[in-house]
Amino acid sequence: MNYVLHLLVLLDIYFVLSLSLNIVMGYTGLLTLAHAGYFAFGSYVYALISLLLGWEFIPSSLIAILLTVLLSGMLSIASWRLRGDFFILFSLTIQVVFFTVLKNWHDPTQPVGSWGNMTNGDFGLAGIPSPSILGHEFDSRTEIAILFTAFAVGTAGLSYMLLASPWGRLLRALRDDELSARSLGKNVRLAKMQAIATSCGMAGFAGVMLASYQAFISPTSADMNEATLLFSMAIVGGVGNSVLGPFVGALLLIAIPEGLRFVDLPFSIAAELRLMVYGLMLVLLMHWRPQGVAGSYRME
Amino acid sequence: MAPSAGEATLGPLVMAAKGLQQRFGNQFVLNDAEFSLRQGEVVLLRGENGSGKTTLLNILTGNLEPDSGRIMIAETTAGGGEAFVFPRPWWRDLNPFDHFSPERIAKDGVSRTWQDIRLFPTHSLRDNVILARHNPHGEGPVAAIFRRSTIRRDEAVRRREADALLTRFGLAGRETSSADMVSLGQSKRVAIARTVQAGARILFLDEPLAALDSKGIHDVMSLLTTLVADHRVTLVIVEHVFNIPKILDIATTVWTIRDGKIVTESVEEVRSEPSPESADSIPPWLASIAGSSDAIIETHLPGGARILHVQLDPSYSRMPGLDVKNLIVTRGRRPVIGRTNEAGKATGLSFSLPRGSLGVLEAPNGWGKTTFLEALAGVIPIQSGEVRIYDKPIQNLKSWDRVKTGLAVLQSRDNIFPNLLVEDALSIANIAEPPESVRPFIGRHVSDLSGGQRQRVALACALAHARGTATILDEPFGMLDVASIPQVQSQIVQNTSGVTLILMPAASQS
Repeated sequence: MNYVLHLLVLLDIYFVLSLSLNIVMGYTGLLTLAHAGYFAFGSYVYALISLLLGWEFIPSSLIAILLTVLLSGMLSIASWRLRGDFFILFSLTIQVVFFTVLKNWHDPTQPVGSWGNMTNGDFGLAGIPSPSILGHEFDSRTEIAILFTAFAVGTAGLSYMLLASPWGRLLRALRDDELSARSLGKNVRLAKMQAIATSCGMAGFAGVMLASYQAFISPTSADMNEATLLFSMAIVGGVGNSVLGPFVGALLLIAIPEGLRFVDLPFSIAAELRLMVYGLMLVLLMHWRPQGVAGSYRME
Repeated sequence: MAPSAGEATLGPLVMAAKGLQQRFGNQFVLNDAEFSLRQGEVVLLRGENGSGKTTLLNILTGNLEPDSGRIMIAETTAGGGEAFVFPRPWWRDLNPFDHFSPERIAKDGVSRTWQDIRLFPTHSLRDNVILARHNPHGEGPVAAIFRRSTIRRDEAVRRREADALLTRFGLAGRETSSADMVSLGQSKRVAIARTVQAGARILFLDEPLAALDSKGIHDVMSLLTTLVADHRVTLVIVEHVFNIPKILDIATTVWTIRDGKIVTESVEEVRSEPSPESADSIPPWLASIAGSSDAIIETHLPGGARILHVQLDPSYSRMPGLDVKNLIVTRGRRPVIGRTNEAGKATGLSFSLPRGSLGVLEAPNGWGKTTFLEALAGVIPIQSGEVRIYDKPIQNLKSWDRVKTGLAVLQSRDNIFPNLLVEDALSIANIAEPPESVRPFIGRHVSDLSGGQRQRVALACALAHARGTATILDEPFGMLDVASIPQVQSQIVQNTSGVTLILMPAASQS
């Protein structure tokens, strides 16, 4: 039972991430690898605030979301001028910057969270408190599973409201023909900026969920593996509709490694096999079903 | 549709430009061009190929900054109105609210349509129209969550407006159709409806009649008349020679771009000009091969295209050559080859040419000549239908197998490897002995040759083994100078045992 709850919590977290990627990849047509960076950044901000200042879940996650939204400006400005392969490369740069900073802002002689040793490097941050809302601490796995499922459903509802609105319609229009949208007087830069900010904010929140569930975070949640995982989630599940594609993506990419767990393989081989399966899925889907399993936008 | 508005009924000045200059490399496309545009005016903008029509359109709609000059857009009650002086000092571009951009020009009430239409393909026609409405407060993520009831109310109003507009433009009942599923004529009308909804008072139309059949032309023309009469929109229309007489029926002024300047002429002056070669005339070259005009067989194709062919060797005339049956090729979801009718059903392209014949396919711009060629060559997939060469279906073959069957194609552009030496380009095409026409170029890189010289090399490669094959050439004479055209023509005629099809723009458009 505990194991099923653990899976449910993971699914909730990755569903929120997948929803966030859908806004950028599915509705503005910009492929990004930077989301692992924003995801990890959100989790670090939450961890540091709750560890150093002892703030509760709601205020610290709000700060985490706010800071992530601010940093999303790096990606927005790139989206004004770059597109296609160049935008992907730029987003990769952002991911690398996040990862490098989290990994290297470290000095063993100084206390964790000080200016000299903000992230504690590879050792990560441990002892992050469980979510506590209005004095109630969600410390059992069952409670967290219920809370996180509510978050995931809430985010899905939010995502639906956003993408079914005139704003979502505008995003799809500029994705399909940016010049045409501009010639109708649409401020496409603002719209892209809003989309990227919303999306990064959601990714930051997913990071908050991860940190408060695991009680421990390390730079690996910003590394290339994670970036590839998120990217695959969007491609495999499919994007361009507000909820279904992201859900299928999260479900499949959580299910694969867990499925491999039941095949009796040494850990090192299983890890490699997982990457191979991701790669194979990407290749097969791009060839046979470019819009993903449940998506409605075909990425080019 | 008599000349609708005389000088007397023209309104105030809406747009003017002075000293516009635009240079690409060393060539002046616009050189001290100037004009003034009054409300209700309908301008026909014409000029030779490459004279700068599109450049002017791009500049006036904010898509291109001219090298120098002044553009003034007059103020109206609806707002807008500003003047731009070029070149703009670099520091003005630092201000994100002070760019010379399409969205800014659009807010001043200047709008455009494209030759290739550019509707939003995944939206319905209704959404295409609603999207055009200026809606800065409703189209944001915050409004989407916190002002839901206001948005719902606004949307209901907008939907009614859009539906009313679509009905007025003859598109009732198609509101929810996806924009990539409607016919070409319908999408052109939606594109115009969209600009009306965007609040256009000056509208630039890039070939609004191109590739339309006569009913489509009629619909768009009556729509344009309505726009001027009811909406007091000022129109500037770019159109090819072929359709110019139709535009002259509603035009009040003609602008001709000549040597980088805009020459303003009256409609009567232009009407009295000797008309160019009429659309029904037969290319003189084909006529001379045929001997008499009876020997030329004409086949009409949908979309204003036709095939003229002559039998070079009568002994082959009963043998199948190139047969195309119900061919449909799509880009996205819109058929490019093959037409969708008003009910959304697609019919394909069909024709056949016997062996030993030489055919010329004349089609208006935008008809899909390049798509047709690429589909035949196997570069892009064929949606449905059948293509047979010498009675052998090729549509399921890989492109190299099609070549083995006897197909040879020559694209109009990018038809030769630019980084090779001429002799290497020839040997890749399995030509051991370079033909006379390209011998002077041996030892040079293809990229060092002029456009016409390159075309001669490309043609040499394509035609060396042409005899007995099904050869399809896309605008082969395009870049050639007058002297080498007959040379190439005589080479083409030598393919008496195969079948040759030449794709050309409709006669009066070239």
